[in-house]
Amino acid sequence: MTFKMLEAKGLTKRYGSHTALSNLNLSIRTGEIFALLGQNGAGKTTTINLFLGFIEPTEGSASIAGISVAEHPQEIKQYLAYIPETVMLYPNLTGLENLEYFSSLAGFDYGAGELRKFLSTAGLQAQAFDQRLGGYSKGMRQKVGIAIAVAKKAKVLLLDEPTSGLDPKASNEFSQIIQTLASGGTAILMATHDIFRAKEVATRIGIMKEGVLQAVIDADKISANELESLYLKTV
Amino acid sequence: MHFKFIRTIARQEWSSVFRNKTTLVLFLVLLAVSLLAVFTGWQYVGKFNAQQAAASSEVHEQWMSQPNRHPHRVAHYGYLVFREKSPLSFFDFGLDSYVGNSVFLEAHRQNTVNMSEAGFSNGMLRFGELSMAMVLQLLVPLFIIFIGFQTVAGLKHNGVLKILLCQRASYPDVLAGKTVGLTAVTWALFLPLLVLGLIAGVASTPGAAVTDLVLRIVLIVVLYALYFLIITLMVVVMSAMSSSDKNALMLLVLVWMLFFVVLPKSAQTLGSSLFEAPGKIAFERAIEAEVSKEGDSHDPNDPHFANLKARTLKKYDVDSIQLLPINYGALVMQEGENITAAIFNKHFDQLIGTYQSQNAVSAIFGFADPFLAIRNISMNLAGTDFDSFTAFQKQTELYRFEKTKRLNEIHLTQVSFANNATQRVNAKNFQDMPDFVFRPVSVGRNLAASAASVIALVLWVVAGFAVLHFVSSKRKYQL
Repeated sequence: MTFKMLEAKGLTKRYGSHTALSNLNLSIRTGEIFALLGQNGAGKTTTINLFLGFIEPTEGSASIAGISVAEHPQEIKQYLAYIPETVMLYPNLTGLENLEYFSSLAGFDYGAGELRKFLSTAGLQAQAFDQRLGGYSKGMRQKVGIAIAVAKKAKVLLLDEPTSGLDPKASNEFSQIIQTLASGGTAILMATHDIFRAKEVATRIGIMKEGVLQAVIDADKISANELESLYLKTV
Repeated sequence: MHFKFIRTIARQEWSSVFRNKTTLVLFLVLLAVSLLAVFTGWQYVGKFNAQQAAASSEVHEQWMSQPNRHPHRVAHYGYLVFREKSPLSFFDFGLDSYVGNSVFLEAHRQNTVNMSEAGFSNGMLRFGELSMAMVLQLLVPLFIIFIGFQTVAGLKHNGVLKILLCQRASYPDVLAGKTVGLTAVTWALFLPLLVLGLIAGVASTPGAAVTDLVLRIVLIVVLYALYFLIITLMVVVMSAMSSSDKNALMLLVLVWMLFFVVLPKSAQTLGSSLFEAPGKIAFERAIEAEVSKEGDSHDPNDPHFANLKARTLKKYDVDSIQLLPINYGALVMQEGENITAAIFNKHFDQLIGTYQSQNAVSAIFGFADPFLAIRNISMNLAGTDFDSFTAFQKQTELYRFEKTKRLNEIHLTQVSFANNATQRVNAKNFQDMPDFVFRPVSVGRNLAASAASVIALVLWVVAGFAVLHFVSSKRKYQL
């Protein structure tokens, strides 16, 4: 049994005369990975910010687990986790300390053993747990970001260009981790430029152009080459 | 608001500030400057008071060793009175360096308080002396700016704020936590230093009124704590309103310049242009003009003194001043003294009123600039304010008047009119006169004088929290 965890109904965001997002209708169910493809300025980040409640919609609504984001911005946080393109966190703290801090702000008081387990689940090497984040690679920091989401037991994961700048190995590891999370029931919305990564991990793929969702395709019904052709034709 | 989250964020802010080596270096610099300021201030005040005490003792010795003299000669022999610095003046120099330290008291003349340190020093004094109050008022805000400018803006810039806000802590929790954390850092670093500095300085000042000093120290510490809280609120608000840490730093440095350079100078200029005070010469000429209008004791045809003569002759039922049982010359001198003292006091009160109006402008500006508010309060509580100085001037003038009156009474009753030129009176008459003892302004009066500034400071705290609440409720300041 699956539920609609993310839903947009006629979601629109305008800044003056510029329309950043136009009439987005979208739903993402538990266990689903939805990849949003599009060029810079296509409206991908605006969509994520609307689901996060950082900006107010001009028209329409965004909801998470059936709760309106605009009306209950605090309540929806219990379901959400967010990983930006570059996870910076606190460079002066270790990976473990960062996880402890963010978990406590999510309302969880984990012991060191549990925190280490979350970092392992996210794929971070044990010897890095007690090192300062300032010395981490981008891929390692992304893993701490995932550990924060895992520790929070987030039902919805919003990813903004998560594999941008990662080397192929790190990118592949990242894909595996989010697939594992999805198989555990997490609904994932991922904004990306990476067509091949989207094809590899997503359940469905949406292509955006100038704030409009132009096409939605089931990932298993299209090849990577066909997706690339469609993307290039659309944008 | 979730107090648990606020505490967690505050604790993180605390530890991240202390993990930063720049913070420690900045603090060590300020610590060294503060200790230097306390030490030099304390040493200077101690040396100054010792010099004043020695000079005062010498003047007293000279007064006491006068031979038998005519009392009017004694009145013109005069007496030098010295202004001792308040026990807390080592902490805040206030107006001390710019106002006079001694006044020569003599009959018929209201001399001004002379010999300010500014008058004898080079331009460095006017540039600004290094006092602990100056460090706390000007440099600690810079410290708070440097440790706090990126507290929210930096998190926005690197995207951490978004991750933070995706946890269950709200934006008000984040801003409140940041404020608590930074305030705790500032209080922990500077309030103990302030308390220790004040106690150490005061402990080395013998004879000070303990209750009064303890009350002053407590008030200084509490009000500086509020001042640091205001600056911290300002830093957190501006950091939260800025899109990047660079913008936040630029904005805060501009605000620092506005609060610590532009507004204080503007307040001073506006005050003196709205309420123009007469210069020293104009002030003295105005008094002279009014005195000559009132009556000239040297003019035998002057109506006022002719009337005095007629009344006195009638009172003693004689027809010439030579037959009076009292010395008529002394009576005339006391009448002249009464006239000049009343006129001087009237003009002096008007002048004080003008200066108080100028100071009121500065106090009103305290509602727009917390630095002006704390500066006024700090000076008042340290006893280096305008009121303390005018209290000294008024008390010395009263002392001068009473001393002259007493000498005139001796002259009136002990020197015959016929032997006026040659007669002398016993020196014991002068030796019995009480010494000048300055009664400092009470802490209650000091506090009342700075009531507007205290209210301004409290309003700044309230406004700071209100703005923090407003900013935390706006989504546009979260991105």
